[in-house]
Amino acid sequence: MSPVADYLILGSILFALGLVGFLSRRNLIVMFLSTEVMFQGVVVNAVAFARLHHHLEGQAFALFLLVIAAVEAGLALGMIVLLYRRRGTLDAEAWSIMRG
Amino acid sequence: MSGSTASALYFVFALGGAGVYFLLPHGDRPRTMVGAILGLGALVGWFVVLAFGGLMGTGHTGYFYLFATIAVVAAARVVTHPRPVYSALYFVLVVIAVASLLVLQEAEFLAVALIIIYAGAILVTYLFVIMLASQGGSATYDRRAREPFLAVLAGFVLMAAIASHADAVPESVTDRPAQLASDSSAGVVADSNTLAIGQLVMTKYVVVLEVAGLLLLIAMVGAIALSRKKVPVESGYRPTEPVGEIGRKVEPF
Repeated sequence: MSPVADYLILGSILFALGLVGFLSRRNLIVMFLSTEVMFQGVVVNAVAFARLHHHLEGQAFALFLLVIAAVEAGLALGMIVLLYRRRGTLDAEAWSIMRG
Repeated sequence: MSGSTASALYFVFALGGAGVYFLLPHGDRPRTMVGAILGLGALVGWFVVLAFGGLMGTGHTGYFYLFATIAVVAAARVVTHPRPVYSALYFVLVVIAVASLLVLQEAEFLAVALIIIYAGAILVTYLFVIMLASQGGSATYDRRAREPFLAVLAGFVLMAAIASHADAVPESVTDRPAQLASDSSAGVVADSNTLAIGQLVMTKYVVVLEVAGLLLLIAMVGAIALSRKKVPVESGYRPTEPVGEIGRKVEPF
């Protein structure tokens, strides 16, 4: 059995929990927090594969994942503030009908 | 992975999925205790399957159990807590537990970077927006989840699909010489994780590094442009009826 199977299963659990949160919560901020939980699962998986392969490319990949997470958080929160100023609610259902 | 181990793992995942279903906010009838008991049972069952199914890696098993427990419990609270501020604070716990797991995986630089970037920068931004946009108390859309059963089902299927391939990962891979401690191609012996990862990023992935910097610049310009944009306030907007799951009148459980 692989020496990193426990870490891979932990990563899949974190990813699935984040997916459940993103699909089921209605608060825009909590939805994006759930995507951050999914990022954590991916980081755990990437680092586990780096240890399995005995080189650092998984860790470099995880480092660039952090960049993507920072970019996503900045832009998403800017858009959420914009949407909140427009309708005064963080409910995702408020935007279920999009008009131009 | 033998058949019995796989079925035990799927059973544990189903138990955890049921726990998350009950933990998700259900409006005026919270069943947090049922969910907590089911979830903790699933966690203990997961560790038993790991320990007796031959799935555990070598070394540091006690620390793995400890930090995996913290990470999974805190992640479950992030996605299920009815108040966003507590969700954000539980996410700090997830970040710290994952950073500890990265230390166990010999990724010290990444662990510290994770704490600095996530717990130090991203989470402060989230908390700032939550404080800015909270109306006091938990809103109706926080107290009722949208289609919790279908969401848990999707998550369970995804997790089972990923975990069923965990035994396809080989015992060890020898596709290239070991680079964890030293990188001979760069000519300099790297004696620490930080030095080695810096060499790799600055030589082999230098173009990716530049692209990452460009991406951060674009995001910064975009965020500033978004925050300066004037928006019309849509007065008279009334939130519609709170949306529940399919057949809210009929209890699926």
